Amino acid sequence: MSVDKDISLPELIKDRGSLHPINHMKDSIMNLLISFGFEIVDGPEIETEEFNFDMLNIKKSHPARQMHDTFYVENKSNLLRTHTSPVQIRGMLEKKPPLAFISGGKVYRKDDDATHLPMFHQVEGIYVDENVSFAQLKDLIYKIIYSLFGEDVELRFRPSYFPFTEPSAEVDILSKEGKWLEILGCGLVNPVVLENCNIDSNKYSGLAFGLGIERIAMLKHGVTDIREFYKSNLDFLSQFK
Amino acid sequence: MKIAYSHLVQYILENPSIEQISNSLFQLGHEHEIDNGIFDMEFTPNRGDCLSLEGLLRDLRVFYTINRKDDTYQEDISHLSMDFENLSKNACPQISFLKLEIDKLPLSYSGGLKDYFADLSLKRNNFFTDVSNYLSYEMGQPTHCYDAEKINSRLTFQEIEGDYEFESLLGKKVFLKEKNAVFLQNNEVINLAGVMGGMGTACTDKTKSVIVECAFFNPESIIGKSVKYDIQSEAAHKFERGVDPECHDKVLRRFIKIVGNHSVIKNLSLVTHNYKSNPRHQILIDVKKINKIIGVDINKEDYINYLLKLGFDVEEKFINIPSHRSDVRTQNDLAEEIARVIGYDNIPVSELKIPKNTSQNRNVIENKIRSFLLDKGFYEVINSPFVNVSAKNCIKVDNPLDSNREYLRTNITKSLLDNLLFNERRQKDSVKLFEISDIYSSDNGIKKDRRLAVIASGRVGLNYQDFSSKVSKKYLLNLFKEGFPEQSFNFIVLPRDELDTKIKSEILSLETDIENFSDSILKYNAKSKPPNDFIQYKAISELPSSFKDISYSIKNYSKVDELQDLILNFKHLILKNVFIFDYFKNEKQSEIKIGFRFVFQSNDQTLTTAQIENVLNDIIERSLKLSGIEIPGLK
Repeated sequence: MSVDKDISLPELIKDRGSLHPINHMKDSIMNLLISFGFEIVDGPEIETEEFNFDMLNIKKSHPARQMHDTFYVENKSNLLRTHTSPVQIRGMLEKKPPLAFISGGKVYRKDDDATHLPMFHQVEGIYVDENVSFAQLKDLIYKIIYSLFGEDVELRFRPSYFPFTEPSAEVDILSKEGKWLEILGCGLVNPVVLENCNIDSNKYSGLAFGLGIERIAMLKHGVTDIREFYKSNLDFLSQFK
Repeated sequence: MKIAYSHLVQYILENPSIEQISNSLFQLGHEHEIDNGIFDMEFTPNRGDCLSLEGLLRDLRVFYTINRKDDTYQEDISHLSMDFENLSKNACPQISFLKLEIDKLPLSYSGGLKDYFADLSLKRNNFFTDVSNYLSYEMGQPTHCYDAEKINSRLTFQEIEGDYEFESLLGKKVFLKEKNAVFLQNNEVINLAGVMGGMGTACTDKTKSVIVECAFFNPESIIGKSVKYDIQSEAAHKFERGVDPECHDKVLRRFIKIVGNHSVIKNLSLVTHNYKSNPRHQILIDVKKINKIIGVDINKEDYINYLLKLGFDVEEKFINIPSHRSDVRTQNDLAEEIARVIGYDNIPVSELKIPKNTSQNRNVIENKIRSFLLDKGFYEVINSPFVNVSAKNCIKVDNPLDSNREYLRTNITKSLLDNLLFNERRQKDSVKLFEISDIYSSDNGIKKDRRLAVIASGRVGLNYQDFSSKVSKKYLLNLFKEGFPEQSFNFIVLPRDELDTKIKSEILSLETDIENFSDSILKYNAKSKPPNDFIQYKAISELPSSFKDISYSIKNYSKVDELQDLILNFKHLILKNVFIFDYFKNEKQSEIKIGFRFVFQSNDQTLTTAQIENVLNDIIERSLKLSGIEIPGLK
């Protein structure tokens, strides 16, 4: 039996809230990676130098370890993680290969301007198995970028440097305005890192990648000032629903 | 680092265009921008060896024929007897001093020295410093020039600890603290090693006798000093990334040659201290391993050729690593070298198959809480954890950005309160926010709590049912009962007494651990779904908004829909929002009254009454064309 609509009553439009666009972007990317076979691992935002740097082959002389780049807490006994990579270290110490982890969340660096904030978000992933190659890493990166930006997007791989991957690469996409924009960093896990996690680097190899969520969100939503995300302005937030 | 295209191309036989060199540099991993014939290079921190004209040409040899021969002083050089003591040999395992006296200062420069200053639009300083700077550009090794007449007693290199004052050669007073590698004369710091020399012993435009210091400093002794003391230093940039420990003789002989090209050299002497020999590094030739790492199938001949072009040597079963490549030590490092030559974009893709993950998403409860709150009109926010107020068990940041961000917050509510007041100041009369975040405290070690915090004040909602109702404890308890029937919540009224606001609405807040939520929320059937597409953001306005209300009287009930459609779908650049805030049905008089609220705001100007009325008149005119609709009291 159908109920007739009361024609004298206007539609009751109840305001719906919205997910924060950064969390929405993070969830979208993580769900995509879960569909590829990755498993989520979580870790603390307050880390030790051992997990944030040493285990990742970031040497004492690396600029990232300086007081002007990293926030240290509790008389330098701990620090605010500068990337989500230590979560993967914890994951590799816990489980044996083959393993495929992703971690996402807040990270902290001592920066503050129109394009950098002291707190931002990353999603990182790692896959360790026998015979993992750079050619396979490229396959994964193509899948991620095509899912995010469509299969028409033009991308390029550039050699780069991260202490925890070797070879390392940065990936750029070509914007509609014809400008190359850096999207993510990736590489084959440095065997030193595998050995640090008690994984036999003669038998296993791995690939790793990391994306800055704010950067992707800015591109996807057309936001030009990163600070807009964190003003909690309802005029801004209400646009993302 | 800026390197001129013309300086590079003069040594490349193929005479490539600037675009061709640019493409080659990108393939090799050397990011840059081009401005008026100058490459503004941004090298990765492991490639300190490329921070020079010579270094970059070494890498470009992969693609081009480089025709550059060493042009150095070839005669014997007498021994320099110099009173020097190295008390920190680990920080400086190699150092040379060259003493050189010239007849006359040159009036003009020639060759590469001239081009360097002209093409890169650089300001000259004094002759010896200019040669030193040019040499750093050409060969990558920083040198430091002391006026020889000012070095008249023992020179000591030492890592010192404690407070020292130092005046840089640019006249900046620097107060050294903690551990620093320095050169001392008469117990005074005359040079912050690897960063910048001092004013007291610097060369001037009259200096004709110079002592040139050429050293290898351990990067760990130099790192961070230029930032710490706010001294812009290209030398520090190079030393931090590692220079070639075996280049001193060649560099100083090149120094002599350039000076000799500009003046008559009267006296020349050199002393070299090698406190520690540099180990030779070799890697076993293993083409199979390299192919496995990259996922290609290159043969041994190509492998060897690629590495030879990059300046590596082959010795029987091994690849010899040149002294300037401190970044190459493993098979993976060699794989990267080979991959750079092939070109990352030319490496074929090989399908990656990861076994299906069967583990459950850990955040299922948290996601349900989010969905529930979105359904109820709450907006999610993310706040910085840095605050200016200390609290019990809070964590202090050792090196905060500023005193306003010295501690980590121990609660989310204060951040949400700031967010609420921010929005109230922007004329928002209905604010409902939430945040889910980790909160850290120091209590017998670092403690982490995952928390949800909610804040709400003002109108319950911007619709005719909720417009007149204000957020209250009762409202929130009823609301939460729907999602969490088995749980009780302690909503708190936050006093407005000490807040900088004239608004009187009650502020309600809740902060609770996520672990307090039971699985019952999983039964909640969420209505809100995140948008499938990524919405294009429209710039928001910081200018004041204005609102106008129009109340319609409708006798013909069937026109309600039409009026609603017309008004809610009306678009105008300055009309930011419209909603029905009032509805009343008078059965006796067969009349419906509907009130619409129109919110106006411009992105670039404060709106005048006339601008708003223009839009309103348009709306009124269109709506009154519908039969049976009136605006009571309209003149």
